[in-house]
Amino acid sequence: MREKIIGIDLGTTNSCVAVLEGGVPEIIPNAEGERTTPSVVAFTEAGERLVGRLAKRQAITNPKHTVASIKRKMGTDHHVKISLDGKTTEYSPEQISAMILQKLKNDAEAYLGTKITKAVITVPAYFNDTQRQATKDAGTIAGLEVMRIINEPTAASLAYGLDKSDEHTILVYDLGGGTFDVSILEIGDGVFEVIATDGDTQLGGDDFDRRIMDWLVEEYRKDTGINLEKDPSAMQRLKDAAESAKMELSSRKETTINLPYITADASGPKHLEKKLTRAKFEQMIGDLLQRSIDIVDGTLREAKKDKDSIHQVVLVGGSTRIPRVQELISERIPGKINREINPDEVVAAGAAIQGGVLAGEVDEIVLLDVTPLSLSIETLGGIATPLIERNTTIPTEKTKTFTTAENNQQSVEIHVVQGERKMATDNKSLGKFQLTGLPPAPRGVPQIDVTFNIDANGILNVTAKDKATEKTASITITESSRLDEGEIDRMRREAEEHAEEDKKKAEEIEVRNQADQLVYSVEKTLADLGDKVPQDKRGDIEADLRSLRDKLSQNANIDEVRKAMDALSKSAQQLAEQAYSQASGDAKSDPSADDATGGEDADDGGYIDAEYEDK
Amino acid sequence: MKKNEQPNEQITILDGKEDPTTEQSNGDSLEAQLASKEEETRLLIERLQRLQAEFENYKKRVSREATQLEERASDREILDFIPLYDNLQRAFASYSNETDAAAFVRGIEKIFAQFDQVLKAKGVIPFDAVGTMFDPAKHEALLSVESGEEKNTVLEEFERGYERNGRVLRPCKVKVSNGKMNAEQKEEL
Repeated sequence: MREKIIGIDLGTTNSCVAVLEGGVPEIIPNAEGERTTPSVVAFTEAGERLVGRLAKRQAITNPKHTVASIKRKMGTDHHVKISLDGKTTEYSPEQISAMILQKLKNDAEAYLGTKITKAVITVPAYFNDTQRQATKDAGTIAGLEVMRIINEPTAASLAYGLDKSDEHTILVYDLGGGTFDVSILEIGDGVFEVIATDGDTQLGGDDFDRRIMDWLVEEYRKDTGINLEKDPSAMQRLKDAAESAKMELSSRKETTINLPYITADASGPKHLEKKLTRAKFEQMIGDLLQRSIDIVDGTLREAKKDKDSIHQVVLVGGSTRIPRVQELISERIPGKINREINPDEVVAAGAAIQGGVLAGEVDEIVLLDVTPLSLSIETLGGIATPLIERNTTIPTEKTKTFTTAENNQQSVEIHVVQGERKMATDNKSLGKFQLTGLPPAPRGVPQIDVTFNIDANGILNVTAKDKATEKTASITITESSRLDEGEIDRMRREAEEHAEEDKKKAEEIEVRNQADQLVYSVEKTLADLGDKVPQDKRGDIEADLRSLRDKLSQNANIDEVRKAMDALSKSAQQLAEQAYSQASGDAKSDPSADDATGGEDADDGGYIDAEYEDK
Repeated sequence: MKKNEQPNEQITILDGKEDPTTEQSNGDSLEAQLASKEEETRLLIERLQRLQAEFENYKKRVSREATQLEERASDREILDFIPLYDNLQRAFASYSNETDAAAFVRGIEKIFAQFDQVLKAKGVIPFDAVGTMFDPAKHEALLSVESGEEKNTVLEEFERGYERNGRVLRPCKVKVSNGKMNAEQKEEL
């Protein structure tokens, strides 16, 4: 196994590390179990060095010996002076960054169980050569051979695979906790070039939290006359509540900030309860968001691009989860917005992909396709029963065992369909074939193995084999993977749109199938028991049987079918109990009740029924 | 399959060396060897692809299962807290007139005790910080003030800390002493 090259997003406030595993970037959690690590370093009086969460927690007690946001100093001759035990040590920004990198490296080694010596590290697009060299030096100090320094927007684009896209102008909008960056990139032959970049080093999610806090303080003062700012405990709770309200408003239109016992005055304890709508929140941060959009416009001008020439937009940074941010961008730029990957992790993920390429790992991966849509066969009542679910990596093989739906059925038809709809007819038909020459047998007895085998080229071979006679029949379908993307999208959308009604329809058919199976098994039991059944009982059961059979043949309302089924299972159960008590043999099981849940049908002769399943 | 073919191959080569007169058959066998090797390569590549695809599908299944497992685990946790919610609702439903305020408080106390029990059963232990030395593994400093206490002593707790099975679930948010004569200015980088 060749050595892994990790990808590191060395951020101003938080850092993140990832590695390519089996062609997919995986975020490496740190020793504390978190997926990002605060970029904070501290030196304690006990002579300990703390990095990450712990350093952040003690920052207030130890401000002189705690270093945050060192990234802003990279490439300068600024030195951090740490005086402990009467001894003063000076650290360069490279050295401080190296301490963060070292923690990330150690945590990655612990997680992966191997030694890590190589990394790809990301920097902002605006970093100059000195800043890039400083970042590289930081890596070297940390014991990492920096295989490449890449731009953060480039890494994010790589994570979305945009290097392989034909559309070549990309805008990366990166709104993090404390900084905002926008970059416009062009790809040519898989190489990214930064055309223009701009930003605001003091704009981010923390500002949004602050706005909510300010609003809460002001509202509370208006309501109660109490100034919460004087109460540090209350302010801390407000800060946490503001942040979670902000997050909640990304998925809800309204949230309630509820802080019981927030403070107290002479009259007793006081509570805070405030509704915040998304609209109100958007209004609060409107000017901040507008500032970011103005910067986007400026960057477009600088790149000499108009908005229509942007093909792809990539969103980076936790604050891009805010729906208004996405709206503002899509109002401005018609290009496709990429936001599926966690925006806090996308840069590290892209760096890991670059690392995988440099390690030669990506070349080694045999690129495998996935089935874009499920592949099924039509079973009783026209249901599409999937053998291969969509998004299955190919080549693959799957076998399921089916059975007949009618007594003495001599052939079965295998109808292969593609798509996500529950009913076979709503999907795309790929082909049909017959398996003939089945020996006469009661329904449900024959076992027919149906095997779907797709090779690496997407060619699907479907084989049906009767287990008893070993007879087989098969079909080869070459077009199963030849759908164009538009068609796939359309079929998926349709499936989503019809999900509810399809589910209902499939359930109804399932009930009808069960009803039919019940009719069949009660009839069989009556025949088997013969004159052991008292005449009056037989009359009752036959009436119930007739009723259910009629309901089925008249295609009656599903609730009526259910009612008739209940009636029949009740009378049939009595029959079984009676028969067993008369026989006084082994009364262990109740065949009619068991069969009622079996799920079969016979109204359409040719089809086979999904009954057994093999792995 | 490979193991069976290896000896054959060696024998063929030995044959060739020992019997230089069978040139023609040697040529044939080379061609045949190439064909069989090509077939072998094809089969191996196919096997590799199948294995890799199987691994990919396995990974997809595992990640689906992990999500389901997480869902079920959190379902189970939630179930343990629902009775408390039910009891609170009962308490409010029974609290109709002002006269039974004392009974209401007693009820709430019972529910609180029940809450305590649930947390204990889950191994959740609250820990106190006041009077101990500040430890960033367990505490988060919100304020640092002058006081008569020794430097780094926790003076006040703003939010309680909790741990479970030796792991800190939530650090205790605290006010810390910076020592009596220790009024330093903050230095920001």
